[in-house]
Amino acid sequence: MEPLDRDLEEGLLELPSEPMMLNMGPSHPAMHGTVRIVLELSGEMIQKADVQIGYLHRGFEKMCERGTWSQIFPYVDRCNYVSPMLNNVGFALAVEKMLGVTVPERCQYYRVVLGELARLCDHMICSGAMCMELGAFTPFLYFARAREIIWDIFEEETGARVTHSFGRVGGMASPPSKFFKEMVRAGVPRVLEFINEGEKLLLKNRIFLDRLEGVGVMPKEDALALGWTGIVLRASGVPYDVRRAHPYLVYDRMEFDVPVGTTGDNYDRFMCRQEEIRQTARIIEQALDQMPDEGPINIDDPRIILPPKNEVYTTIEATIQHFKIVMEGIKVPAGECYSYTEAGNGELGFYLVSDGSGTPYRCRIRPPCFATTQGLQQLITGLMIPDVVPTFGSLNMIGGECDH
Amino acid sequence: MATIKIDGREIPFEQGDTIIRAAHRAGIDIPHYCWHPGLSVAANCRMCLVEVLPPPGRPAMQLDILRWDAEKKDYVPARKPKLIPSCQQACAPGMEVLSESSEHVEEARAAVQELLLLNHPVDCPICDQAGECRLQDYWLEHQRTGKRMKQEVVHKPKGVVFGPTIVYDAERCIICTRCVRFTAEVAQDPVLSVRERGNLNEIVVSPGRELDHDYTLMTEHVCPVGALTSSDFRFKARVWFLRSARTVCQGCSTGCNAYLDYDPRSNTPHRHRPRDNEAVNKYWMCDEGMLSYRRAVENRLLSGLVGGEEASLDDALEAAKDQLAGLKDDPSRVAIVLSAQHSNEDNFALLKLGRTFIGAKDFYVSGKPLGRGDKILMSEDKNPNTRGVMQLAGSPAPKPIAALLDAIKAGKYSFVIALGADIEVDTQNAKSALSKLKGVVTMAAHDGALVQAAHIVLAACAWAETDGTFVNKQGLSQRSERALTPRGEARPAWELVARLGKELGYAMTEKTLADVRRAMAPEARSESGPNAGRADAGKPEVSA
Repeated sequence: MEPLDRDLEEGLLELPSEPMMLNMGPSHPAMHGTVRIVLELSGEMIQKADVQIGYLHRGFEKMCERGTWSQIFPYVDRCNYVSPMLNNVGFALAVEKMLGVTVPERCQYYRVVLGELARLCDHMICSGAMCMELGAFTPFLYFARAREIIWDIFEEETGARVTHSFGRVGGMASPPSKFFKEMVRAGVPRVLEFINEGEKLLLKNRIFLDRLEGVGVMPKEDALALGWTGIVLRASGVPYDVRRAHPYLVYDRMEFDVPVGTTGDNYDRFMCRQEEIRQTARIIEQALDQMPDEGPINIDDPRIILPPKNEVYTTIEATIQHFKIVMEGIKVPAGECYSYTEAGNGELGFYLVSDGSGTPYRCRIRPPCFATTQGLQQLITGLMIPDVVPTFGSLNMIGGECDH
Repeated sequence: MATIKIDGREIPFEQGDTIIRAAHRAGIDIPHYCWHPGLSVAANCRMCLVEVLPPPGRPAMQLDILRWDAEKKDYVPARKPKLIPSCQQACAPGMEVLSESSEHVEEARAAVQELLLLNHPVDCPICDQAGECRLQDYWLEHQRTGKRMKQEVVHKPKGVVFGPTIVYDAERCIICTRCVRFTAEVAQDPVLSVRERGNLNEIVVSPGRELDHDYTLMTEHVCPVGALTSSDFRFKARVWFLRSARTVCQGCSTGCNAYLDYDPRSNTPHRHRPRDNEAVNKYWMCDEGMLSYRRAVENRLLSGLVGGEEASLDDALEAAKDQLAGLKDDPSRVAIVLSAQHSNEDNFALLKLGRTFIGAKDFYVSGKPLGRGDKILMSEDKNPNTRGVMQLAGSPAPKPIAALLDAIKAGKYSFVIALGADIEVDTQNAKSALSKLKGVVTMAAHDGALVQAAHIVLAACAWAETDGTFVNKQGLSQRSERALTPRGEARPAWELVARLGKELGYAMTEKTLADVRRAMAPEARSESGPNAGRADAGKPEVSA
């Protein structure tokens, strides 16, 4: 392999030596999917790093131009497959923005609760995976056990544990189940117990702390310049959270703190994530208290919402309605919009263009991880190889979001 | 010109226009089922009701009605304007019409739509019309409510065979009588009529008769719902998977404008349907023409032939070169056969090869024999481009195949280069005459007499697989678009001619269709013809 930089001032080295090229990934346990980092090493120090995404490529945006607006939900599920519900809600909000409709209040709360549950999963798995890669296997198992509680709730609500495809333009696929609130109220405290247990094993562990503190520092200005959002940006000291800065759904009625870091190192990112788990639990609690028990989930517009299935099979009017929505798609007025929400890793934006037909003319995604990953090179240059693992882990890169 | 106003927009009208016709011409869509621009007015569907404002100073015509008051839970007296069917009301200068801007009109349309769907069966999943059905479109545009009737719907006969081509479903029928009027007014064979009244009525065929005239498939085409279905298209394809190409029918010299609907996934044509052209076929086509889409796949030549054996194009061209080797010695021993079945482009290329490069003196024209014609659309000349070939060749005019056979018998020719497969005379006769010659090369899309008689055959594209210009019997040159990708090894005939010419050592430089068209006279390539641009400017869907 060619060295990335041939202009090494060899005279400055004590012993003239050739830089060593090392491939990390694309198939590497710490590469979270399929990312390849070409490292140029001097001893164990990283002198240059070339982060290459693209090994997970499905052509998400192009796929979206083929089906109807509703058929995109399964695709967005698979953009961030650790918190699909947040993507579902984000995309539904984008299309609803183009249509100029707002879902009923009950649905807004429902979306908030489900979305925040997904956020819990996302943060726990990121933290857990990072610990595991540093050799601390037990917290990962604790967090995975906690995730199981949430997945059980999701399974009860949506029928699927991971990729739910539960969002719909103008509502959700089905209303909350009978014991939804009880399930969540019982489940979240148990999740927090697991979090506390797991943290106890980590935060007083010298090895763990040494590998996080002061490693992978990202200054505030650089984070902003790279387009970072979400936890990684907040850990660098910028209190930007879409839920607070530009509230959507019912986030303006929720009380929660936005945790902010000071130095922007791995430790800050880890701690911000842990704190946000607790804030998320607060939001869930408030949303459950405020969420009405009765009322519609879907908007009342036959042009957007599918009719009940038993009517589709028995009356011609509902058959036609079903046919029009399924075969031709929801007619979204011609125009464009940018809609953005706070997903697990930061600002998830959809820029949509419609030509008035039932299929998106263009569906551009602004996935948070795409911007985050481009900062990795800066973070690890000058560090040692073992530092790549926690640093990369603390960014929570999701391969599906870099397919773009 | 006098004008009327529809929803505040001023549009012109011609003497005798109804509101809907003036609106249709101006591109304003007033929803309708029974009205058709080419048929008489029935005004029975009531979908096109509009509110016509009274002349200034005159009171509006109002009706006393009882309106449901949800708060009082009772009917209360109210008034509403008398609505008027726009398909029947003639325009008067300065008339003001409210269509979409009137709440009464919207209410009436929703009510009409609800009535029409009252007894409609839940058939969309198995109905051929689904996807291009007025009932579906108008439900979404004008009704958008669910079923209120709790009773069982009225059941009527389904799958009634009307004739060899049409199957009728009375449950889906809205009795707009378009088919009845079409058979009586256009096909001149009043074989359909309406039986019974109210929600029991249905379309029936006259006792002792079948729906079997030459225009039966048009009844299916004018049907705005899925009541009449074509037995040919029935259950074959779903329309939203089909794409349409603007073609010219190849059935006869009338040159009806058509859409060829095909499935791009399987490269299969599925139907021909008329494309509106006031100057040629208006809104209609005959059965023969509508079924002629099958010729794009049936009886096709899929590869070249050398002595009856399949051969690749390169091998066939090589063989042709050997066989035509002696042709340069005496150009007068070469006969060139043009084809009235092929486009101007194809014929022009062959004409150029024959006249300019080979120097041949004698030209003939092949084509199908005369057939049955009528006074409506069908011509006796069953070739789409007879006039185009004659115009291109100029004088002396190409002679018929019978003359070629006589000349061969007299020993006049050694070589024949032919386009097209069909001839108007006896096949055996032609075979025995042609097979004695030194070299016979035919370029054709289908199997036929000239193909069987030829020593070497090059497979050409059918009209649906290539763009082409055809001149109908009125002298209109019209373009036909490519729908399918060529089957087998078929190539456009002009390209085969060019490659044959190159093989024989002539400077045939045409590489693209545009090259061929540039070399042609302007009137032959349709840009300046009286129908210029018509085929290219058509709307993607018929809106009538």
